[in-house]
Amino acid sequence: MEVSLGALPAATPPTARLVLEWTLRMVAMAVLVLALVRLIRPVEEPPTQHASGAGVPAALARWTASPEVRSAHVTVSGVPGDTLRDWMRALRGAGTALGYTQSGAEPVAVSAEPLADPAGGVRVWAAASTPVALADAVGLLDTLRPSGAGAALAARSVASPVTAAVPGVSARAGIADSLVLRPVLVLGSAGWEGKFAIAALEERGWTVVARLSVAPGVAVDQGSVGAIDTARYAAVVALDTAARPFAARIAAYVRSGGGLVLAPPAATVPALGALAPAQPSAPDRGDAGLLAGADARRGLPLGALRALRADAVATERRGDAVAVAARREQMGRVVLHGYDETWRWRMQGGAGAPFAHREWWAGLVAAAAYAPAEARPAVARDASMNDAPVARFVDVLGASSPEPRDAAAPRRTPVPWWLLFAVAAVALLGEWASRRLRGAR
Amino acid sequence: MVTGERAAAEAARRGEFTFCTVQYESGDWDSAPLVAPNIIDTIARYTAIPVTPTGVIAPLGGDALHRYPLAYLTGHLPVRFTEAERRNLKRYVERGGLLFVDDHNHDVDGMFHKTATEELTRAVGPLADLPNDHELYRAFFTFADGPPTTAHEMNGWGDNLVHEHLQATLVDGRIGVLYSSKDYSSEWNYHPDSKRFLSVDNTRFAVNLVVYALTR
Repeated sequence: MEVSLGALPAATPPTARLVLEWTLRMVAMAVLVLALVRLIRPVEEPPTQHASGAGVPAALARWTASPEVRSAHVTVSGVPGDTLRDWMRALRGAGTALGYTQSGAEPVAVSAEPLADPAGGVRVWAAASTPVALADAVGLLDTLRPSGAGAALAARSVASPVTAAVPGVSARAGIADSLVLRPVLVLGSAGWEGKFAIAALEERGWTVVARLSVAPGVAVDQGSVGAIDTARYAAVVALDTAARPFAARIAAYVRSGGGLVLAPPAATVPALGALAPAQPSAPDRGDAGLLAGADARRGLPLGALRALRADAVATERRGDAVAVAARREQMGRVVLHGYDETWRWRMQGGAGAPFAHREWWAGLVAAAAYAPAEARPAVARDASMNDAPVARFVDVLGASSPEPRDAAAPRRTPVPWWLLFAVAAVALLGEWASRRLRGAR
Repeated sequence: MVTGERAAAEAARRGEFTFCTVQYESGDWDSAPLVAPNIIDTIARYTAIPVTPTGVIAPLGGDALHRYPLAYLTGHLPVRFTEAERRNLKRYVERGGLLFVDDHNHDVDGMFHKTATEELTRAVGPLADLPNDHELYRAFFTFADGPPTTAHEMNGWGDNLVHEHLQATLVDGRIGVLYSSKDYSSEWNYHPDSKRFLSVDNTRFAVNLVVYALTR
């Protein structure tokens, strides 16, 4: 008997099994397509995190520990402390897009610097757009109303630190330096103006070196004049044309940082006039009767300063006339006054005239003097000082930005890679096992 | 010599050195009228200091004195300052003025010397010998031996002494009052034209005095 195997009917798998295998293949293919799409499509950014007020420190701690936080926004009132500011900066440096919105922070800045004056004193500068209360470690100093470049207050004694406060914000600055005060050089002709200018500065505490011309080739020296440079002199006071032989050296001295005080006759020397902030005009006659009054300088003859240079600042006026002006010449400073024979103020003035005359001359020299700072490290290291809180905050973190609007958007979590792999693997293994068990390849 | 507000104002306006003779209530304050023109001539002769060609007279008790930070006072007769004069002199010296007082008698026992030194002591403070190496004696000309002697010290007039020192009251290291018993008022009280008859100008010390006053 011959049996023909080819005549046996073929085994037909159940339809349901075929459907299952086909489904498993489709699932595996779908997972692979999904994985491919996920690889090609950009990853969806996680939503921006938000924090405000007292919750900011805790939020920063949380965001720092969570690598999934890619974007965050902080809403602050006033100026956060240096710790929070630096933390925000560090978080931003670590890759988190951190923005902030600030409210209630009025910009204010304060600076305190010692005066170039042997009698001591501190000048406090404040900048703000609203009235600012100045205080030192002892108590309130004054309230200033800054305008334009700000406002300044000179005080004989100030206890560090200095605080400038506007509503919601306080700026603090230490008096970080003391000054090295070198002698003042006075150049002029023998006369009452020189004698009493020197007397005023010496009584103030300055060491004065002077050369006063008496006759051609003859001068009375007080001290040894020597080279005119910033290593030797804090300032040069040129009273008249007797300073002419020194003019070129004075100009070089000023450009290297020295201070120059010019009386009107000295400004007629071309090399010195080129440094001057203005040109003095012919003096009026003054009114000696006013010398004994409260505003004694009104009694002095004044040659109003005219043709003020663009970079000059008028520091004293008599009515509309500029009486004293100052400007920078490269590294140095130049002060020009327009008064004639200021010594009469001291001799003919009222009871306080010698003191006032001394103060005024000391002020002129202090405004120009080169006085290198001597750092006091104990104060300089004080981390609690922040002389411009709002400005420094913005300097570190940039300008504030509006709060993003995606705060309420639902977060869509992508399917994890491991799940995709598992589904694909199970589907393929199931399909393969089913085929093998029924004898198919 | 010119008095009055107008002359003073004119001198002030020009910014010149103006020689001032002090007028006081007692005594003969104007006993040496040629000293002023002679010293003015000397200053103009030796220095470039701008100087008013005529001197002025300022009352010791008046505000005008303060326009002239160097002033000259002399006389023969007893001196009694009024209270206003004392007060004004004290203020003048404290503010930086220098009063040069010269005994026109050259007589340490004379009434001017006794009364003037007493008044100066009351007004400003005691006088003390000024060392002969003081910078006053080197301010322009050099007087190595201190104040130059005068013919009146040498010729037996007055106390017949050569005074080795001037006296002074110092204020903050500067001379506030300079007192002389050497009788420069007689020595310098001649017309400036007569200098040509001198082998050595005897007013040269006045230059030191003015230069010192203008520079110290």
